[in-house]
Amino acid sequence: MAAEEATSKVVEALHDLNVQTVVSIPKLGPFDFSITNAVIYLWISAAVVFLFFFIVAKRLRKEPEAMQTFAEILIGFARGHLTGQIGEKGRKYYYLILTIFVFILVTNLVGLIPKPFALKPYTPTANINVTFGMAIVVFLMTQFQGVKNHGVRGYMRSWLLPPGVPKAIGAPLNGIFFTVHVVGEMFRPLSLSVRLFGNTIAGHLVILVMLGLILEFSSAVVIIPAALFIIIMTAFEIFVAFIQAYIFSLLSVIYIEGAIYAGH
Amino acid sequence: MDPETAKNLAAGLGMGLATLGPGIGIGYLTGRAAEAIARQPEASGDIRTAMIIGAGMTEALALYAFVIAIILLFVA
Repeated sequence: MAAEEATSKVVEALHDLNVQTVVSIPKLGPFDFSITNAVIYLWISAAVVFLFFFIVAKRLRKEPEAMQTFAEILIGFARGHLTGQIGEKGRKYYYLILTIFVFILVTNLVGLIPKPFALKPYTPTANINVTFGMAIVVFLMTQFQGVKNHGVRGYMRSWLLPPGVPKAIGAPLNGIFFTVHVVGEMFRPLSLSVRLFGNTIAGHLVILVMLGLILEFSSAVVIIPAALFIIIMTAFEIFVAFIQAYIFSLLSVIYIEGAIYAGH
Repeated sequence: MDPETAKNLAAGLGMGLATLGPGIGIGYLTGRAAEAIARQPEASGDIRTAMIIGAGMTEALALYAFVIAIILLFVA
């Protein structure tokens, strides 16, 4: 097979960069509200998360069955981390953290289901827009908690040196501190979103590179190891889906904690 | 060197070089965490959490380069 043809097939198979429009809606200025397979997979994962907890909540029992046990593990996990990091104050944020964890887990896994409908499989978290949206929610929550717990002035002051430093040294240092802190604060949603996006898409790309090798050299010497590698990578991706959901929710907890106890 | 070649080279080389640092970092981190767990198995939960946070932070560095490589290859 010609190299060009193989490359175009790989690009075709590159479903995570290849968004398929299902219902096209005319553009509203710079915004494109067309319904693509990415949007549909997001809806599916949201529905799965909602229905799972809805059904579990409807049939709560004293002796839990499989679904309730799983839900209890997830809730206990989110609660344990929050109270472990933030203390008793953190108990009320577990709705957010639990939702983030379960939603990212489901979105990571939903794209691994091979072609359930006429739609192309798509992992919503392999799209930077989705992950950045979630990171912005965490960012806003962090800033909100900082302002709520310390007031605007108190929160700003927590970014500076502690009081009692002589003015002559304090003023220039404070400027540097403030700038570094603002930049750091701005980079947090970026690093959160890029971490999740990169991890998800990197696994898919490695699999696609292997697929490309199979298409390029159609001989058993290449196909057998490449196919084995694809199977191992897919298993590894399931593992990564869990780890990334865990890291995202854990870092969100740590950021919120930092805002609540700013200046300590 | 024509621009297309330069782009491909930059993406490949950049990605490879960017994995060096985080590779060393995560290796060191995991080794130290294993040591700490061996020394104090009862604290393994906390150590594991700290390790995963650190690994996540370190890994992000390679992922920045990865995103730039993707931009070079598919977008720019």
